[in-house]
This record gives sequence, C-alpha cells and structure tokens, in this order.
Amino acid sequence: MKQYTGVTRRRVAQLALTGSAGLLLPWVRRGSAAEPIKIGAPLALTGPLGSVGQQLKRGCELWIKTQNSKGGLLGREIKLLLEDTGGNPADAVRKAQEMVERDGCNIFTGITLSSEALAVVPKLDEWNAIFISSDNGDGRLTAESFVPNFFRANISAPMGARAVSLFLRSAEFKNFYAIGMDYAWGRNSVAVFESEMKAAKKNFVGSVFSPIGTKDFSTYITKIRQSGADACFVTMAGDDYNAFLSQAGQYRLPEKVQLLSEVIDLTVPRAVGDAAVGLISSMRYCFRFDNPKNKEFVALWSKEYGTVPDNNEGEQWQALQILAAGVEKAKSTETKGLRDALETVEIDDIKGHVAIRKCDHQAVQSGQVVKLAKAEGFDYPVPQIIATFPGDKTAPACKKMTYED
Amino acid sequence: MPLYAFLVVQSVNALSQAALLFFLGVGLTLIFGIMRIVNFAHGAFYMLGAFIGYSAVRLTGSFWLALALAPLAVGVVGALFEFGILRRLYRRDESAFLMVTFGLALVMTELIRLGWGPEALQVAPPPVFSGIVMLMDEPFPTYRLFLAGAGIVVALAIWQFLERTRLGLLIRATSQNAEMVHALGTDVNLVRSTVFGIGCGLAGVGGVFAAPLVTASIGMSATMIIDAFVIVIIGGMGSFPGSLLGAVLVAFVQVFGEYYLPDLALALMYLIMLAVLVFRPGGLLGKEA
Repeated sequence: MKQYTGVTRRRVAQLALTGSAGLLLPWVRRGSAAEPIKIGAPLALTGPLGSVGQQLKRGCELWIKTQNSKGGLLGREIKLLLEDTGGNPADAVRKAQEMVERDGCNIFTGITLSSEALAVVPKLDEWNAIFISSDNGDGRLTAESFVPNFFRANISAPMGARAVSLFLRSAEFKNFYAIGMDYAWGRNSVAVFESEMKAAKKNFVGSVFSPIGTKDFSTYITKIRQSGADACFVTMAGDDYNAFLSQAGQYRLPEKVQLLSEVIDLTVPRAVGDAAVGLISSMRYCFRFDNPKNKEFVALWSKEYGTVPDNNEGEQWQALQILAAGVEKAKSTETKGLRDALETVEIDDIKGHVAIRKCDHQAVQSGQVVKLAKAEGFDYPVPQIIATFPGDKTAPACKKMTYED
Repeated sequence: MPLYAFLVVQSVNALSQAALLFFLGVGLTLIFGIMRIVNFAHGAFYMLGAFIGYSAVRLTGSFWLALALAPLAVGVVGALFEFGILRRLYRRDESAFLMVTFGLALVMTELIRLGWGPEALQVAPPPVFSGIVMLMDEPFPTYRLFLAGAGIVVALAIWQFLERTRLGLLIRATSQNAEMVHALGTDVNLVRSTVFGIGCGLAGVGGVFAAPLVTASIGMSATMIIDAFVIVIIGGMGSFPGSLLGAVLVAFVQVFGEYYLPDLALALMYLIMLAVLVFRPGGLLGKEA
C-alpha cells in the first residue's frame, strides 16, 4: 500500500484546518466595518514605457496619501496594491487576477499600455471588478471592445488626435505624414489622425510604424523627410519618443517638418532638451491649466515631489477623483452599485468640468493643444496652451472612435 | 534624392549603428572566448556606462572626459564582479553563470534606478560634433559620422591589441587552451579578470556613445542586448572578426530593412540568425564551422 504513505494523519489535520479557515475567512471579512478600500494598480513600472508607469504610481500615491489624511473614503482607509507588469499584457492580466483572488480587490486603475488594458477588460465581468483607466488611449476600449465595468477617465487617443486635427484645420500645413509605435495605441491614433486629415481635405501622404523599443530612427527620419510632408504626426511615448526626438533634432528635421503629437509628457522635453522646442501636441493634462483646483493641486504636488505634475500624473489624479465621486455617490465599493453611480458622475476638478457619459463610459472633457517653448524658471522647454476645444467637439459619438465631420 | 545619394546616406547611418552594436558584441564575444560564459549582465554594463557618462559630463563639463572615465569605471566594476563572484563559480556548470549574470543585470538595473531615478537623462553630443554636414545635399549629423569613425578606430585598435601585445597574445592563448597557458606559468585568473573588465569597459564605451542618440535611460539596453547576442551568434561565439562582421551585417539589415520592408524589419535579423544556425551552427567566422 505504498501509494498511501503520502497521506498522514497530520496532513489530514492540516487540510481540515486550512479548509475550515478558508470557510471562516469571508465571514471574518464581512464582520470588520473599517476594512480598507483596496485599489489595484498593475503598472508598467519597467520596460520602454516605464516612465509612464512611474508617473501613474506617483499620481496614485499622492492622491491616496491626501485622501487618507482627510479620513479616507466612506470613513475607510484606502490602500494601494502595486505590481509591476513590465508592460506585458499577459503579466498585467496575471497580476490583476492575483489582486482579485489574493486581496479581494475589485477596483483597478493605472494599467499602463492599451495592449495591457485590452487584455484585462474581457476578464472584468468574471472578476466582478471595475477598471477606471487613467492612461489607456486606444479608442476601441470605449467602442468595439467596450465592457460595462470599464470606465475611461482620461482623454483617449482619438480625442487627442481630434484636438490636434481641429487645430490643424486653421493651420497653414498641407501635406501630412505620420509615425507611430507599432502596437495598439500607435496604430489607433495614426488611423484616427489619417481619417481626420482626409475629412479636412488635407493631403495625407503616408505613415510608418516603428517597433516598440526602436533605438535607431535614422531610416524613419529619412522616410519622413522624403515624404515631402510639411508636418508629421508622431504617436510615441517613453524611451522611443525620447530617442526619436533627439535624433530628429540632430538631423535638423524640425527645420523642414513641423512635428505634431497626440500626447506629450514633461519627461520628454526634460530628456531631450532643445530638440523638443516648437513641437505642437495635444496634452491630456497640463500643469498650466488655469483654475483654482489645479493651482491647489500643482502646489500640493510641488511640495511633495519638488516638480510640477506631469501629464499622466494629472490624469491619474483626475481618475481617482472620479472614482471617489462614484464611491461617495454609491456609498459603497460594491461593484454593481459603484458601476451604476460612476455612469453619471460629474466633477469640477483640476481639468475643469468632466462628466462620464453613460453610453460608453468615456469621460467627456475639453481638449488642449500646446506648443513647447523655453520659459523662465524651467531648464527644459515647457508647454504653452495655444488652443482649447470643448468636450462635445473632441469626444467621438458614443461607442465610436472616428468622427463624422 | 537620387538612389546613390540615398544609399550613401543610409550606409553611413548603418555604419554608425554598427559601431554601437560592435562595442557591445565584441565585449560579449571576448568574454565568451576566454571564459565560455554568456554574460547576461552585458546590457546592464552598457546602461551603467551611459549613466556614469551622464554624471561625468555633468561634473566635468566634458564629453571626452566622460568617454574616458565612464568605461574605466564600468571596467573596474566588471573586473571586481569577476574577481568577487564569478571566480567562485568556474567549477560549476554553465547554468550557474546564466543565473548569476542575469541576477546581476537585475540588481544593477535597480541600483541605477535608485541612484539616477527612473526618468531618462539627456547627454548632449560633444560641441565639435553637435552640428551637421551636408551629405549628398541632405543634412547629416556629424555625431553619426564620428560614431562610424570611432567604430572603425576602436575595431582596429582591438585587432592590433590582440595581435601585437603580450596581453593580447595571452588572451588568444587562454581562449585556445587555458590549462596550457596556466602550465606555462601565467596567472589565468588574472587574464580572466582583465578580459571581463575590458569586455564590460567596451560595453561602457558603447553606452556613452549611445547616450546622445537615445538618452541615458533604464530601458536603453533592452533591445540592444538582444541585437548584440544576435551579432555574436551570426559572427561566431568568441570570434573577434566575427563580431565585427555580425555588427555590420545586422546594422545594414536593420537600416535597409526598415526602409524597404518596414513590417518585416524585426524578423529579417532573426531570419539571418536562423539561417546561420542551420547552415553554419558555429557562426560565420566561428571555430566549429
């Protein structure tokens, strides 16, 4: 009877103990009134977009610190669950699943890459969890890939591309080229820009996509130069964007071609210096927004970190403010109630008026176009707001990612 | 732009990239040739070179001083690592080296993040090479010309070093038969530490050279180190001319592939590697071939 030697009396006792503990645990949890609210953030803290993940992390940390100092939410302390996904969609799903199963987390934010978000959203129903995006640009998340438990607090790629293209309607440029990082967000953003330019009767001469992690952009720069375009739309982020702009500057590309971009972080002009001067871009959040809430936020941020808040840091803050408004409205963090409450949340915060719309859970908000220039008090080029478009002009129709006009 | 002008411009671009790849690949191949170990931390040494280079430029105000100091510092770190840790593992099987050097890469990356922060840092090209020249009526950065030239100079210098100096002779001898060299009264351990240091120092040179192109950043080594492994496999593990040939081949395939077949650019490099592994498993200039 050799095969039975593995099961001893002690082992049976152990199993029985762990089993009964498992049965008791849900009861224990329900019993404690001040159970902390857990917010799961599986972030891309490393990898080519690690700098974006780091911004989201700081945004989460300061918001939670500030909120907890005011007594948390619904009188409960807020706890951040932080994991690094390296920007890998499979890891993002795995780490989020761990947070659900191990920590009982049902609220996610900060998932960094659109490719990660697209991998996570189909699981939300099964996990009975809400995900409030603070960063994901891909238009499909509020269109063909929409799921009821997903909310997008941030400006999407179509909305950013739209703001730039609305600006370009009255600009003198005629021939446009586009370059994007070769993954979900880059492809989506360039596609929207292309259809916008065609709708505006501008000449769109072509596009090219560079693999994530490209180090040498000389060939791409040659292509842009040869295209005959007088403006080029760039959808990049992180290390790739820094490398592209540094090298474009070294080739004097901006002297011939106006560089445009869907979104820009301050980390980029900090890393490339003068090579970023003159760049025109949409910006999801800019520390220069002129309203009292934002001034308060910038002061708080500067005191904590010694710098002004960056693009994704402001976006992460806003996403959590929307979450807080939803939780307070629902008076609970239970998934269904929170979802119903979030569907009609409106706040006036650091970016002004922001309203979630029920049909596709996109936060409708105004869009800005900035130009980078040298400014006093900064040792790197900083954005200046050159145009603002209201939310009803920049948001696409419900569950769409292209525009009719 | 006429075709020949395009070809000239792109070829110089490819040469400048080949130079960067060569600095990484030649270090890898030297270390492999002597020690039969694959140094997974090579990319981290490359990154360390860029970050120390950044600090050296900030402190001294001179790119050239940084170019001298950073590789030296990286080389010393590499030699100390060999002396302190790798030396204890020579009796173990090869997987020990994989684990230890891979672990070192992770530790170094985190230390760099702690020391310099997560954000990318700007390193400007030296003022003499920050301008442009008109190459076939197109503006071309002088820094890239300089890189291409530096690659050729360093390749010649390493070749002469290996062929003409006593240390070079010892390195070649050790890579062929370490026991015999030891029996003839040479401290093989010292040769190993030195080669490991030199290899890492060369990665540091690559890091300083690359910083003005890609900024000093935590992610800068991720794709470069894969390219470096590919060129070493194509050229032949342990072969110095092989690493040179591999670097030039990969750089040209990347630059021209991205132009003519942008969707296949990444795959082309691996297809060549695959072909080499199938038809000349030891690499184009490797020993087993």
